[in-house]
Amino acid sequence: MNNTFSIHRFSLLLKRQWLEFGKIYLITLAVVLGVIITFYGFATWSTIAENYPFSERLLHFREPLFLIFGFLFITVIASSYFAHLGQKPKAIIDLMIPASTFEKFLTGILFTAVLSTISFLVIFYLTDLAFVSKLRSMYHSTSPVSAEESTHAVDSIRYFFSKNNPGEFKSIFVLTPFFVTSLFLLGSIYFNRFHYIKTAISLMIFSGIWTFIIVKAGQALFEGRISVNHGNGNMDDRKFWVELAVFSLMLLLTAIVWSITYVRLKEKEV
Amino acid sequence: MIKINNLNFGYSKGKLLFKNMSMQLSAGHIYGLLGKNGAGKSSLLKNLAGLVYAQSGTMDVMGYDPAKRQPALLQQICFIPEEFYLPSVKIDAFVKANAAFYPDFDHAYFTALLAEFDIPVTQKLINMSYGQKKKVIIAFGLATQAKLVIMDEPTNGLDIPSKAQFRKIMASVLTEDRCIIISTHQVRDLDNLIDTVIMLDESSIALKASVEEITNKLCFKRVKELDETVIYSEPSLAGFNAVLQNYHQEDSKLDIELLFNAVLAEKNKLKPIFN
Repeated sequence: MNNTFSIHRFSLLLKRQWLEFGKIYLITLAVVLGVIITFYGFATWSTIAENYPFSERLLHFREPLFLIFGFLFITVIASSYFAHLGQKPKAIIDLMIPASTFEKFLTGILFTAVLSTISFLVIFYLTDLAFVSKLRSMYHSTSPVSAEESTHAVDSIRYFFSKNNPGEFKSIFVLTPFFVTSLFLLGSIYFNRFHYIKTAISLMIFSGIWTFIIVKAGQALFEGRISVNHGNGNMDDRKFWVELAVFSLMLLLTAIVWSITYVRLKEKEV
Repeated sequence: MIKINNLNFGYSKGKLLFKNMSMQLSAGHIYGLLGKNGAGKSSLLKNLAGLVYAQSGTMDVMGYDPAKRQPALLQQICFIPEEFYLPSVKIDAFVKANAAFYPDFDHAYFTALLAEFDIPVTQKLINMSYGQKKKVIIAFGLATQAKLVIMDEPTNGLDIPSKAQFRKIMASVLTEDRCIIISTHQVRDLDNLIDTVIMLDESSIALKASVEEITNKLCFKRVKELDETVIYSEPSLAGFNAVLQNYHQEDSKLDIELLFNAVLAEKNKLKPIFN
């Protein structure tokens, strides 16, 4: 018997976790859906129901809603995943389930980083699709814009994901939810109570110290110097290296945080 | 089945709960683990199940190190904790989610045990009383057919008929390849059930002996007057309940409660008898 990983045990564990976690997860998703619909409803009600003229500004709430609420949703899910291990009666039953620590850890990653992110994206996409399609069916979706040389039409009632489709740094956007959820997943196993608050405070303190060090180091290194532009710089090439550097750093940090989470899970005592 | 060698364990580095504890437990026995509050009964059981880690020493459970929490070992351990949590689902959903982890799980036996314990199978686990939940978890644990059964205060919360049912069921599940360890404060619940007594006191094993060995070496009887042959006594209505050295190979019934108090009070007198 392979004591580290078995597909059979892993699928059993997924089923079992869904039984434990699924109901709360679905309720949370329903709340998320309700909140997103409420925001869209408030913003577009007068336009859709009372035929008030459409303004592009009506849909400006989408970006902050997506970022702030998306962050809250995935971090709350990640922060609650291993939270029960802080309670002795639940921890004993869970740790005694005949599955390896690696399988239990992998299930956590799947539920928190993958499933929560995908489900939030799907819910946001579907809500946006419904409301924006309705608006597009009611109003002209294009408006003329004068450029220097010509006049052309732009789509003024655009779907959220077509408007905000990142042209560059895509890999960083893909990795961000993994990085964010990895931190809160670690918090859920590291702390025994008040996981979310404690993780958030720890991150703020850590980020503050980190920023202070970077700023001070930058000041010490570059004080009294000025930047010189050598010219002939290929911006696309620079962007590629910046993307690669940020992606690699995030990937490394995510891997480190996951490793710490795995060790904490392995060494969890009741 | 279980080998413990020089186990040192404590919740803080300064104060050890077990100092150089060594012990071997074999299959085919029901061990009764006794001790005062805080003596370390639950901690010893948790060490066996890999729920806590020792500072030093080795532990071998069926050829595995429990601290590694390997599925092959976990499949063979049925751990019934004193405090437990069951999800808000019905019994069949609980079984569906958990039984598949145990390759030898016996569904028919589980159903029979539920019937014997008189559990309402259609009710959600969360709506059951503590005693009913305990019976469900005991039934589930025994149906896993695990080789090592560890029970921490299993009779807590059980009513009087259920305790009798529990004793009957436990006596019937003992097989040659199974080892059962029961920790309890309620020593009367273990009457006629355990075959070996393990008593913990002051960071070590104060006594580990089979019921047969104890009744061969000690005699439990009521006496009217105390003399120098009495190792320990407690006043009763018609004299004293006493523990004496069994010089004349008298037959007597083990009084676990009396033995427990005797071990705590007269450790120095009892040690040479069992060593």
